Amino acid sequence: MTTSTLTKNTETLSNDIRVEEGTLGKLVMARLKPNQDLTESVEALCRQYGMHTAIVRGAIGSLIDAHLEYATPTGWREMEINGPGVEILNVFGEIGFGDGTPHACPLQGVVADVEGKIFAGRFVRGSNLSFITIEITLQEWIPRQGQQVLHA
Amino acid sequence: MKISNKSAEGHPGFVEVRKFLHAGQQSYPRTLDLEANPAEELRITLQPGTKVGEALREVLQRYGQRGGVGRMCGGTARKLHYHRIENTPDPNRPYDYGAPHVLEGVITFVTGAITVGQNQEGKILLHCHAGFLDGDGAIHGGHLLLDTVEVGDDPLIIRLCLFSQGAFVVNSDEETLFSLLHPTPMES
Repeated sequence: MTTSTLTKNTETLSNDIRVEEGTLGKLVMARLKPNQDLTESVEALCRQYGMHTAIVRGAIGSLIDAHLEYATPTGWREMEINGPGVEILNVFGEIGFGDGTPHACPLQGVVADVEGKIFAGRFVRGSNLSFITIEITLQEWIPRQGQQVLHA
Repeated sequence: MKISNKSAEGHPGFVEVRKFLHAGQQSYPRTLDLEANPAEELRITLQPGTKVGEALREVLQRYGQRGGVGRMCGGTARKLHYHRIENTPDPNRPYDYGAPHVLEGVITFVTGAITVGQNQEGKILLHCHAGFLDGDGAIHGGHLLLDTVEVGDDPLIIRLCLFSQGAFVVNSDEETLFSLLHPTPMES
């Protein structure tokens, strides 16, 4: 992975800013059958297709129950949205194995419960099982090799 | 079919996760997947009064038989129907979509995803889940019937990624007993 240091008018802004240039690569479409975990299935697809990093291009489906988490001043708090039949309205996120280990909860999104109420948060690994189906499409992110330092 | 519980009692840190056993026969592998080729990236703007399903089909017919996915990027509607999953008396399909919930007036989209699929004859099928606010500020979400959506005063923006060599095609599923979209190789 190549990173760049951003500068503005020759003044370095911050070493905390990292810009990675790249392109989108292979595209993988999938259907998850019942009782498959969303996060673990997406990671398995990435490994199967040799994608070090991939983004979610689209995902629709339903969950038996949803388990979402969000940050609080005292740590991460989890909410359980009960189904069966919690609808996935959208999923965002990227899956990466840049340093060999995946992010604990790389996907976030929006769901609706059986009363049509909406909830959002990070999908908790191992706890969001497909109910009837999940259609998901991933696309590989390919960082450009040998990038130059960018000047703002 | 039944719901099974994996007890988390006595195992701090573990989350209780329920599984569901459908009436039909399970089959393997549990994930069906396919590599396709990215083909087109589209940004579609639908003007007030446009019927969304009809308009998207008109656009998609120009690109031939392609699979696709997309997101709603913003906009409003005057009318729409959506479904929620409900409990049914049918032992083979104890959960299914109930009668549509109808919204009319001023509706604001806040999120939405679309799968572009097709039936066995190649007819375009649009699978959409979305969230939206009604004119009173109440929030709703579920399975949106795009053929019932009429664009409101703000244009509706939809982004689609279409692919070749693969499509989501409807097939009966022997496990859930629903007709579902499956990744399917396609000549392009």
